[in-house]
Amino acid sequence: MSALNNPVIALVVSLIITVGYFVLVDHYLMDMQGLDFWYLFKN
Amino acid sequence: MGLLVGKRIFSIVALCMMVGLLLLPVVVALPSLAIGEETHAGDAAKKDGDKVEKGRDVYYKTEGIVSGAPAPKTTDGVKDYPRYNFESRVLLWFANQQHLYYGSFVLAVPIFCMIIEFMGVVTKDKALAKRYDQLAYDFIKISLTAYSLTAILGGILIFTFLTLYPAFFSYLSGIFRPVMHIYALMFVAESGTLYIYYYGWDKMREGFLKWIHLSMSVVLNVIGTLLMFLANSWIGFMMSPAGVDEQGRYLGNIWHVIHTALWNPLNLHRILGNMAFGGGVVAAYAAYKFLASKTDEDRAHYDWMGYIAMALGVAFLIPLPFAGYWLMREVYAYRQQMGITLMGGLLAWLFIIQATMIGILFLSTNYYLWQAMGRMRGAEKYQRYIKYLVFLLACGFIVFITPHTMVMTPAELKAMGGQQHPVLGNYGVMSAKNGGINVIITTTVLSFVWYMRGNKVSTVSWAKFGNIFMGVFFGCAYFNIIFLAVYGYYIPANVRVGLSVPQVATTLSCLFFMFALNSFMMKGAKQMGPIEWGKISARSQYALIMLATAFTWMMGLMGYIRSSVRLFWHVNEIMRDNSPWAYTHTVGFAANMISANVLFFWITILFVFWLGSLTAKKVPVESKAGIPGSVPQPAPSH
Repeated sequence: MSALNNPVIALVVSLIITVGYFVLVDHYLMDMQGLDFWYLFKN
Repeated sequence: MGLLVGKRIFSIVALCMMVGLLLLPVVVALPSLAIGEETHAGDAAKKDGDKVEKGRDVYYKTEGIVSGAPAPKTTDGVKDYPRYNFESRVLLWFANQQHLYYGSFVLAVPIFCMIIEFMGVVTKDKALAKRYDQLAYDFIKISLTAYSLTAILGGILIFTFLTLYPAFFSYLSGIFRPVMHIYALMFVAESGTLYIYYYGWDKMREGFLKWIHLSMSVVLNVIGTLLMFLANSWIGFMMSPAGVDEQGRYLGNIWHVIHTALWNPLNLHRILGNMAFGGGVVAAYAAYKFLASKTDEDRAHYDWMGYIAMALGVAFLIPLPFAGYWLMREVYAYRQQMGITLMGGLLAWLFIIQATMIGILFLSTNYYLWQAMGRMRGAEKYQRYIKYLVFLLACGFIVFITPHTMVMTPAELKAMGGQQHPVLGNYGVMSAKNGGINVIITTTVLSFVWYMRGNKVSTVSWAKFGNIFMGVFFGCAYFNIIFLAVYGYYIPANVRVGLSVPQVATTLSCLFFMFALNSFMMKGAKQMGPIEWGKISARSQYALIMLATAFTWMMGLMGYIRSSVRLFWHVNEIMRDNSPWAYTHTVGFAANMISANVLFFWITILFVFWLGSLTAKKVPVESKAGIPGSVPQPAPSH
């Protein structure tokens, strides 16, 4: 836990968790509607 | 001992009476449900030796035995539309709106009472529990006088219908005949439970009896909610009829008539709207009393009351736009043309006004919270960051209220090169607006988080990580919302429409996860100082009054929009409105009418508050001691 209180480590870990979470939210919630979140990047 | 047993018996009998009252309409309805209207109709037809006529449901597409008369084909004249020398629709509009305002208020306040009473029962701090209990009692006292006025206004509304629109009212009451008496009995049950709940308060203050009393508030709210759902089924039927054939003849299935395409979205939207409205009105009452207070004790009490009412109101305001989104989605699914009339056609400018009102609601809430931080020692650390929140709110608000097209003269149209402004026109589409409102709501969540931790310093071992994680989460949430808004411009409309779901999920993630994280971090936190209730600027109280007025105005506006979307139909595509007033009013007229309704409501509700203050003055001195704020308020909790 003490390593997490290091600001740099905390920032990196927070970024990984948060960015990963929002990418999953965007992808799966579009997928549930039968839509492709990555439409622009694939075309 | 004997007295206690007596009280217990009294409480249990009272609770049984309430449950009995709740079940009364169901019991009364059982014979007709068991026999079924279809059988009635079938039997009648057989007796007469007629051929049984069948019809097809306009919505469910099922077949049913025709059991009612077709919708009347009205003509413009005194027979179908008797009138005074005044526009009948305006009179009905006024009667309907006032009844709705009061109805919403008296349905919302008992739900508040239930929540606050429950908070009082479960809290371990005895002094705080007493304060919650007194606050819940104050709330129900206010609603009791308003309840009588609601009933009177309901009577006036029925007479207005009977007098000015007899053909329409006769048709509608004919369709809903199987549940009309249930509605009336539910109203009796609501009145009975409300009076038992109110007058039993003192007798059931402690222990087991208190739980019985709390159970009564649950029964009371179940009845109130069912009552509202039944009333909603009428407007749902008028907008999206079901259970009738194309001539408007009832097909014997009352559930189809009630359970129309828009019934459930309307139910959810109204329940949330009522709660937000009720919170706003009580907060305005508290603000008025705060401003009129002459002692510090009173100021402390009404400051606290205003905060609780505002917090409850805003808790229901935050999900309200999402419920509205669901309602609009269902409107589009039911009839695309209806949706286009609402959002992109005749009524689109009213939605711009609505967006402005929603923005004002959130701006007022945030302003109040920033002001409220002033009564906490330690909250100064957030003051210098508020300007960034103002910037975010202002950007979100400006995008949210930008219209898609402008009303222009031919010369202006030519100068601009089209209906859409070359730059600002880009902000008039849903992609941008979804981004705008989600930024506003996320900022409001952030303000709440700051307020809740204003005078506290987390003592958990992972506090530094928690703070950084929270900051990163909010930052990424803003980025995701704005990214999705911009992304929408680069993909086709059929894909773009789905982006609103992850946008909403992002906002709700902030709400639930960050509130939860904050609560964990603030468990056992070090207090920088108590919340000094009553030591808040007068400006904050005007923000509460603004909040309540904006709620009232927006409710009037949205009711008008919802009703106007039927255009020249009494019952959409079933019964045509042939009165001289079957046209859509101008935006200016509608706005003036809504303002007049708001003004009348506030004048009358002030009268109700004044009546409440007359009874408050008669409270004996010893019971006054229990009123929160009567002692200086260290108030450790929000």
